[in-house]
Amino acid sequence: MSESNKKHISIDPITRLEGHGKIDIFLNDDGDVENCYVLIPELRGFEQFCVGRPVEEMPRITTRLCGVCPEAHHMASAKACDAVYHVEPPSAGRKLRELLYNVFFSGDHALHFYALGGPDFVVGPDAPAAERNILGVIGKVGVEIGKKVIQHRAHHSAIMELLGGKKIHQVTSIPGGVSKGLTEEERKGVEARIVEMVEFGKFTIKVFDDIVLKNKAYVDLITSDAYSMKIHSMGLVDEKNRVNFYEGKVRVVDCDGKEFVKYSPKEYLDNIAEHVEPWSYLKFPFLKKIGWKGFTEGNESSIYWATPLSRLNAADGMATPLAQAEYEKMYATLGGKPVHATLATHWARVIELLYAAERALELIRDPEITSPNFRTIPKEIPTEGVGIVEAPRGTLTHHYVTDERGILTKVNLIVGTTNNYAPIAMSVKKAAKGLIKKGVNVSDGILNKIEMAFRAYDPCFGCATHTLPGEMPLVVKIHDASGEVIQEIKR
Amino acid sequence: MPSNQKQILLLGIGNDILGDDAVGLVAARTLRTEFQGTIDVVEAAMGGLQLMELLEGYHKVLILDAIYTTEHPLGTILELSIDDFKCTVAIAPHFVSLPESIQLAEELGIPFPEEIRILAMEIEDPYELREGLSPSVEQALPAMISRARMIVQRMLTV
Repeated sequence: MSESNKKHISIDPITRLEGHGKIDIFLNDDGDVENCYVLIPELRGFEQFCVGRPVEEMPRITTRLCGVCPEAHHMASAKACDAVYHVEPPSAGRKLRELLYNVFFSGDHALHFYALGGPDFVVGPDAPAAERNILGVIGKVGVEIGKKVIQHRAHHSAIMELLGGKKIHQVTSIPGGVSKGLTEEERKGVEARIVEMVEFGKFTIKVFDDIVLKNKAYVDLITSDAYSMKIHSMGLVDEKNRVNFYEGKVRVVDCDGKEFVKYSPKEYLDNIAEHVEPWSYLKFPFLKKIGWKGFTEGNESSIYWATPLSRLNAADGMATPLAQAEYEKMYATLGGKPVHATLATHWARVIELLYAAERALELIRDPEITSPNFRTIPKEIPTEGVGIVEAPRGTLTHHYVTDERGILTKVNLIVGTTNNYAPIAMSVKKAAKGLIKKGVNVSDGILNKIEMAFRAYDPCFGCATHTLPGEMPLVVKIHDASGEVIQEIKR
Repeated sequence: MPSNQKQILLLGIGNDILGDDAVGLVAARTLRTEFQGTIDVVEAAMGGLQLMELLEGYHKVLILDAIYTTEHPLGTILELSIDDFKCTVAIAPHFVSLPESIQLAEELGIPFPEEIRILAMEIEDPYELREGLSPSVEQALPAMISRARMIVQRMLTV
């Protein structure tokens, strides 16, 4: 191979192809990025696997989709079952579900910030790979902060087990409500934990402020063109258009922040369609009313994102006071709404972490939370239903169709990360184009900065709940103009 | 939830709708009655930091799991220790690896097992949605259970 053809950069520590993330970067003759393709695996065939099963099993089965956010599937599924059975949970049942859900959100977002997204900023994007993990974060911020993170996780796990029946793969949300309530003694114990979770939320905001926002280089990185993405934003909102993770309507705003559409769960098929590309077995959701216009940005594009940042963009505010103050600060700092800086997703995430803890505190102090009236027994003939919640990684939709016995005949799921397939691919391509140029040595740091575009979305592979020996299946390959792989990096 | 006052944990890890990925769960379930009252037996579908929370406070732990390396015949049972793994950069929170979790526990002063052994069975396909084990894994299961029994008995006596 001639020197001029040596444009191969291969990032491939993993040889398996099935069920793994792949990034392929293609260079042109000038050594600049020509194109970039991102393949995110999903657990294929899950919808088919569920056909023929009783629909009321779904809140338990669908938790197996994901070891990171089983609560999200559990909740979307329960809500879909409510709709299938035409039953409305009583107020206490809804509040118990929402309480569990916000505790989950607080814990999940904390885990992402300190173990995944945070390392890029706390340790630095150019730090050696071996340091860009939770150990590196604790090495930088100190053991005491590490203990706070673990304590937050412990609160989260204990409450999940109490409210959800199990620490992981919850079982208590069922058609019509929940299967168990809270005694006053249990309520007091949970309240004490959530008070600490609110403090942890405030603490995390401060960590982000001290380590990220006061570092000009990081702020420049966040606002750089390489990490901008101007597309529609999606998120679930309440009746006052404030962020709500558990219920409401799906609101989409355009690149200028103007409402494009707001729909109820049962209207999702009128608003979202899926596009197929020959180079991927994955489908790309897009806004049906605009129609597929390709991987483009702007108001004419039908591509949208569903992330913590898009949720804040799509809403008019947060429903709790501390989070609202941080929401206003973020938009004031970044030049108003909506924000199109992909890396600002991390900022939105820590604001959501605080909101979730505040909302959980409101709910645990609600007098109705210990009511014994937490379930309405379904009595109608089951037919069809859609349940939508916000998963940490995006808007999650479960759609079930059953026969008159409640046996599933059709299942359709749009998981959080699925919404973001197109913007993830576009973000990675944009970052690659901005960072890989002729004459630039493609170092581990450069490739990590490309991955940062990917990591901001907190994509959930959702295939397995664990791995041995603990390696993350991601393959990044860089191809020269003839398509030959010239460099591979594996994780 | 089992009491941490017992010193030994037998932990089966897996996803029960991913076919052979459930082999660790099945093996642990089979041994539960045999060791009732002497050790804690837990079936779990978790990883990363949640695994760390589960292991906290135990003196010795035996983990039963599936493994997919393509380097061994199906049904091969590998006995591993933590030293056989290395830390990695995780792209998702649930991929905070076991070695990272152990190192984290050490740095934070969290009481962690002094001995962690892992029995992992080589399986063919960890991604197929299926309930139940394949015939080749079913055939190899008694050997895994037998080895697990021996390890637990050794842990109880030493």
